[in-house]
Amino acid sequence: MRTGDYIRDKMPAVIIGILSAGIAGLFFMSFRAPSEVCIVGAAVFLLYGAFIFLWDYARKKRFYDELSQNLEQLDKGYLVLEMLEKPDFLEGELLYQFLYEIDKSMAENVKLYEESSYAFKEYIEMWIHEVKIPIASLRLMTHNEETALPNKYVEQLRRLDNLVDKVLYYMRAEHAEKDYLIKETGLREIVKRAAIHNKDDLLEQDIDFLVEEVDYQITTDTKWLEFILNQLINNAMKYKRPQGKAMIRIWAGEERDKVFLHVRDNGIGIAQSDLPRIFEKSFTGENGRGTVKSTGMGLYIAKSLCDRLGHGISVCSRQGEYTEFVITIGKNRYYKDAAM
Amino acid sequence: MKKILIVEDDAAIRTELKALLSNDGYEAAAIEDFTDVLGQILKAEPDMVLLDINIPKMNGEVLLKELRKETTLPVIMVTSRTSEVDEVLSMSYGADDYITKPYNPTILLLRIQALFRRFDYSGEVMTYRDLKVNPAKGILSKGEEELQLTKNEMLIFQMLLQKRNQIVSRDALMTDLWDNDEFINDNALTVNISRLRAKLKSFGFEDAIETRKKQGYILL
Repeated sequence: MRTGDYIRDKMPAVIIGILSAGIAGLFFMSFRAPSEVCIVGAAVFLLYGAFIFLWDYARKKRFYDELSQNLEQLDKGYLVLEMLEKPDFLEGELLYQFLYEIDKSMAENVKLYEESSYAFKEYIEMWIHEVKIPIASLRLMTHNEETALPNKYVEQLRRLDNLVDKVLYYMRAEHAEKDYLIKETGLREIVKRAAIHNKDDLLEQDIDFLVEEVDYQITTDTKWLEFILNQLINNAMKYKRPQGKAMIRIWAGEERDKVFLHVRDNGIGIAQSDLPRIFEKSFTGENGRGTVKSTGMGLYIAKSLCDRLGHGISVCSRQGEYTEFVITIGKNRYYKDAAM
Repeated sequence: MKKILIVEDDAAIRTELKALLSNDGYEAAAIEDFTDVLGQILKAEPDMVLLDINIPKMNGEVLLKELRKETTLPVIMVTSRTSEVDEVLSMSYGADDYITKPYNPTILLLRIQALFRRFDYSGEVMTYRDLKVNPAKGILSKGEEELQLTKNEMLIFQMLLQKRNQIVSRDALMTDLWDNDEFINDNALTVNISRLRAKLKSFGFEDAIETRKKQGYILL
């Protein structure tokens, strides 16, 4: 609360006070009282007024200053009431009371949304498990068919499965519940799973898949990291070079307490101007608007999952030459020490 | 013939899974009525169980825990639940492998085969006609005569040998190679097979591996 603002707010009262003091002085004067009496009389009025203002100003200033200071410091502004001392003047008490009521009704409202969003998430998770059953049946049916069905059928099934997985991991990335499990695991196994997951597409599109040194122990959720890797491999396939031999290369290295997992392709690359934004939600960029349609969700989900696992993800690229993603995974020393 | 018991509540998958397993040379049976599943499994005396986590009336993980009190027979959990927690829980209850739906059928068959191999391992030497096969060293030998195979050639040969006189598809060979960290392409597979043929020829088995058009290969 600024002093200037306070005075401006009380201006009519100040003017009336000064006028009243003047009138009182004139009143004394009209009774031919000695000039000292007139001055003292007016001064008493002024002093009285000034005292009231100062007193009022002091307690209001304390309350509002504390309020605004707390608001500034808190990153969750709605918790401000918890930290505030109850004011000792009427307007303050009223404000405090109203804020409390507003907070309460808002909290109830938020809880309602939380509950409905939780129920929605639960249902989607269940639905995803349900929808995977007919996909699994179809997969088996196409395999069991006497005369082998053309690859295109199975290819569409894989596509369907990948799309369903994307929703599942979007849910997992967006919701606060902890539904991942971090444990120590071999990186090679995860890379292998991702490779086999994409094997048929890689072979069909005649993309060379090279895996070099990946024998590192890392701490991660294997399912989540496999999904992230799938996204990167899928992108590399989607944006492969139009001519010449397409290639995806995966390798890892370590530096102090971190393992760096590299996924590099020799595809069409990403425009420099797009690079800073490719992990943003719904960002499609030049490539996504080109011949291959993109929803701009894959990399966003990958990044969100990395954030939640405590992994880093970065990209560098040159248009027409390559794209390289690097996932940075911490090696948890505490975990290791505890295990030993 | 190895008997595999399927515990799966979805009728369509059950039927297809049975067909998949019998086509691959197993005796496949399935549980249709989900009362006293544990008793039924024990009574059926299978060589392996494919167990779904979401089965009626009982949770597959709980069932597995109960089953483990009675027997050590190999169990593969097959499920559409894809979280790490489920997998770790299943493995800690004593599952031997864990596969998520929808799976590549070839991968499922490979895993079943690998699990049987692990359980049946008797230390007996693998042979092909009068050749001794040493997968660990990658060597084929006849008396003093020895021949070194590359890792890929040995993987292919082992796969064909295990399915001797049956057709093995290119997809199965390819999947097996990828499952063993050899991410090769179609050309490389063709090259590996012709090299393997040449090496077998040097032992006098000229037409040991036959090509069946659009189906795969067969080791005679």
